Amino acid sequence: MKIPIHFILNGEEVSVEVEPNELLLNLLREKLGLTGPKYVCGIGECGACTVLLDGEPVLSCLTLAVDVDGHEVTTIEGLAKDNELTAVQKAFIEEAAVQCGYCTPGFIIMIDKLLKENPNPTEEEIREYIRGNLCRCTGYVNIVKAALKAAEELRKNTSLIKIKK
Amino acid sequence: MSSSEDPYALMEKWLKAKEFLVVGKGVRRADALEKAMGQARFVEDFYMPGHMLFIKQVLSTEPHARILGIDASKALEVPSVEGVFTAKDIPGENQVGYALPDQPLIAEGKVRFAGELVALVAAKDFDKAIEAAEKVKIMYDPLPYVLDPLEAMERKDILVHGEVGSNIAFRTKVRKGDIEEGFSKSDVIVENEYRTHHQDHVYLETEGALALPELGDRLTVISAGQYPHLVRAIVARVVGLPESNIKVIIPYMGGGFGGKDDEGPLVAAKAALIAKLTGKPSFLMYTRDESMLMHPKREATIIKYKSGASRDGKLQAIEVKIIHDTGAYSNRGPFILWRATVHASGPYRVPHAKVDGYCIYTNKVYQGSYRGFGNPSVQFAAEAQMDSLARKLGIDPVELRLKNLLRPGDLTITGQQLNESVGVADAVAKLAKVSEWSSKIKAYSSSNGRYRRGIGIGVAWHGISTSRGVPDWSNALVKIEKDGSVSVHTGIVEMGQGSPVSSHRQIASEILGAPLDVVTVDFGTTDAPDTGATHASRGTSIGAIGVYVAAAKLRERLNKLASELLGTSPDEIEIKDGKAYLRSNPEKYISWKELIKEAYSRGVEMSATGYFFLPKGKFNDEAGQGYAYPAFSYVAMVAEVEVDTYTGKVRVLRIWPALAAGRIINPTQVEGQVEGAAVQGMGYVLMEQFVFDNKGRILNPNLTDYVVPTALDAPEIMRPVYVEDIFKYGPFGAKGVGEMALIPAPAAIANAVSNALGVQVTKLPLTPENVYFLIKEKMGKKA
Ligand code: FES
Ligand code: FES
Repeated sequence: MKIPIHFILNGEEVSVEVEPNELLLNLLREKLGLTGPKYVCGIGECGACTVLLDGEPVLSCLTLAVDVDGHEVTTIEGLAKDNELTAVQKAFIEEAAVQCGYCTPGFIIMIDKLLKENPNPTEEEIREYIRGNLCRCTGYVNIVKAALKAAEELRKNTSLIKIKK
Repeated sequence: MSSSEDPYALMEKWLKAKEFLVVGKGVRRADALEKAMGQARFVEDFYMPGHMLFIKQVLSTEPHARILGIDASKALEVPSVEGVFTAKDIPGENQVGYALPDQPLIAEGKVRFAGELVALVAAKDFDKAIEAAEKVKIMYDPLPYVLDPLEAMERKDILVHGEVGSNIAFRTKVRKGDIEEGFSKSDVIVENEYRTHHQDHVYLETEGALALPELGDRLTVISAGQYPHLVRAIVARVVGLPESNIKVIIPYMGGGFGGKDDEGPLVAAKAALIAKLTGKPSFLMYTRDESMLMHPKREATIIKYKSGASRDGKLQAIEVKIIHDTGAYSNRGPFILWRATVHASGPYRVPHAKVDGYCIYTNKVYQGSYRGFGNPSVQFAAEAQMDSLARKLGIDPVELRLKNLLRPGDLTITGQQLNESVGVADAVAKLAKVSEWSSKIKAYSSSNGRYRRGIGIGVAWHGISTSRGVPDWSNALVKIEKDGSVSVHTGIVEMGQGSPVSSHRQIASEILGAPLDVVTVDFGTTDAPDTGATHASRGTSIGAIGVYVAAAKLRERLNKLASELLGTSPDEIEIKDGKAYLRSNPEKYISWKELIKEAYSRGVEMSATGYFFLPKGKFNDEAGQGYAYPAFSYVAMVAEVEVDTYTGKVRVLRIWPALAAGRIINPTQVEGQVEGAAVQGMGYVLMEQFVFDNKGRILNPNLTDYVVPTALDAPEIMRPVYVEDIFKYGPFGAKGVGEMALIPAPAAIANAVSNALGVQVTKLPLTPENVYFLIKEKMGKKA
């Protein structure tokens, strides 16, 4: 039995038919060609499949595709607008927080969200916020550095805008 | 080849370079952008459902059993199923052992561990493949099995491999001097038995391969792997095609850590087999539990170690017995054991040594390559021995090490003289300073209360290249295209370590004088000349020699051409910042692009390979003496821990690493390797552990119950101390880094816990439970 669903994906409307037991991760990767979110554990332990659902991080390996009907989904591919990287993406590149890159999309989505909630997080708060995301390559050192740097950049930019006003 | 293109002469010339354009700088890796945007493609990202067959594996549930029959009838009734394939369908050879011919790709006649592959099911539909795999019925005749390596060594009635006649798969030895004499000269002797456990790689990307059949019996395989040419050789053997009919591409990989050097060729062979048999594109991606049940693990060991030293703190003798539980197959076990055996002394001068290694079959998942390759376990034992000796002698642990560390001119336990590139003592001395060792060890030794601090050191060495004079070479193809862009083609893979996307580019750019951003690296492909594997920390050292030599050949040609065009001698030419100019008169120049155009129009070849065959000596297996490696990388680590004596929980607070690994081509990438390896090592020591049931089955093949470190567990890692002890055959003197920081981590952390608690740790992992019992035991002794 196929179920038609409609949702906004990275700013564009999508209509697609899904199986009742189809996972959001599979829908994104296999039918919609967005391979940024990764399968790693399939059971909610690693965060590599993280996407935003109405702006909130969810694990797409544990989310049913039918449940996004009428909602808005953002993947790593949808973060950069008009080819302008987000501050977090830039900081990941500059701080060498990317090694194999398999965990990277999940971390970037989480840290993006963290900085929206808390523009001036401490190192402890960052570590706490990303504790559900696994990285086997970096030892987390540069990921935390990138988060701190992106936060600083964002604060600078918003204060600039404020001054201009 | 003109004499000006002799690789030795070119290497000597560039080794003398003192000032660098890009080498030694923290150049950004070329793949960071696409990875940060989620655009980088890994194996799974090439899968197109509906257009390809999906493969599902049927695994053995028995540790040891004869296969009486396989009934696939129910599975074949499942819609969209293409077939169920077993050992008898293999058109080529069903033999994939790397060191010994003891391993089938698909079990034949009997299974030797629970988790072994018995059949492959292929279906157009992913769900149907899974459903059909569940319906394949295997009839087993269970056989008695053996799980404990010590028991397996003794038994002749239960044999994992009947034809071998014993469960001892392989033996190694080192003999130096006369240990009787050494121990008689010793004022103190310590003797301990050490145990270390399995570790899973937990690369975030599991093993996968996509095989695409093409006309004329050709195959393209997009696969995990750490050596494309080896992947191709194994695929060719299994499907029965010439190697030249097969093309292997290893795209970006989500981690390797050695595991994909073993399992990569196997996953590729499975996908290729189905593609060959069905004529259809075939895709296999291990689930996490398949990955954890099947792929080879870090060796579990039992190490008996006796060391003697004289009162002045000089090591006199060691006697070591190393037992590796190799599981059902030897895989790379003999090589791993060999490495452990020759490194058993640690990086110390030991006049008398006797080391014996045993690789033992049991009915469990088999052991394999994992960052450090047999070395972390034996360095843990060697370094715990050093601490035990230090305690008995009343000498500070660092001081004891400094008295014994290898220095230029010293002999290793295999009798190899190390004349150069031995910077370890310098590194340890510097490390002790930056970590404030002396004051901390004094303060912590008497610590009391619930939370106790401890500090520990681990020093280690790691031979570069393959062991025992086994042939090793490098190669690469470097081309300067007509528009002045540069392409490097190499078999070295990109699994996160960054050698192709950073150091290879730097080396090519440095030597050619071409701007960094015009250099692109095509990695992990059999289209490149055989470069050897991306293992043994050789990606940027041995692996990049090919790039170094090929680029140097092209540079000779460019200098000659530019000198003709500018009317001077080749030695007068400098190439940088997009031009070739006269050293004495930079105003006289030709732009990089013009120069390349001239080369094309004047018949100067703008492509070159950089073949280099590493000169090596011989090892005498009978005598247990001889040449082991062209050079060693050295690494030391100080760890500071806090132990909660109520719960047994250990926290690593801080880690100070030090490297004597030759030239550091890219400090940013090196730091990344060091940090990642240190945390992976910490996970191994404190939390990662497989639980086996009484049939040798892994009970926790998932990331809920097999716990790896998160950002909350990771310690602070200080900037490494570098001693650039140049290696004459490495690119600009580089030795190798990838594995290093993992190797001393068990030793450093365990010694720190020992220091905190006033005990000697001999068994890993240091889970809260195990530490709690250590504390209890100590209190029992006191009472
Ligand atoms: S794949 Fe979704 S949490 Fe691991
Ligand atoms: S960069 Fe490889 S897992 Fe994080």
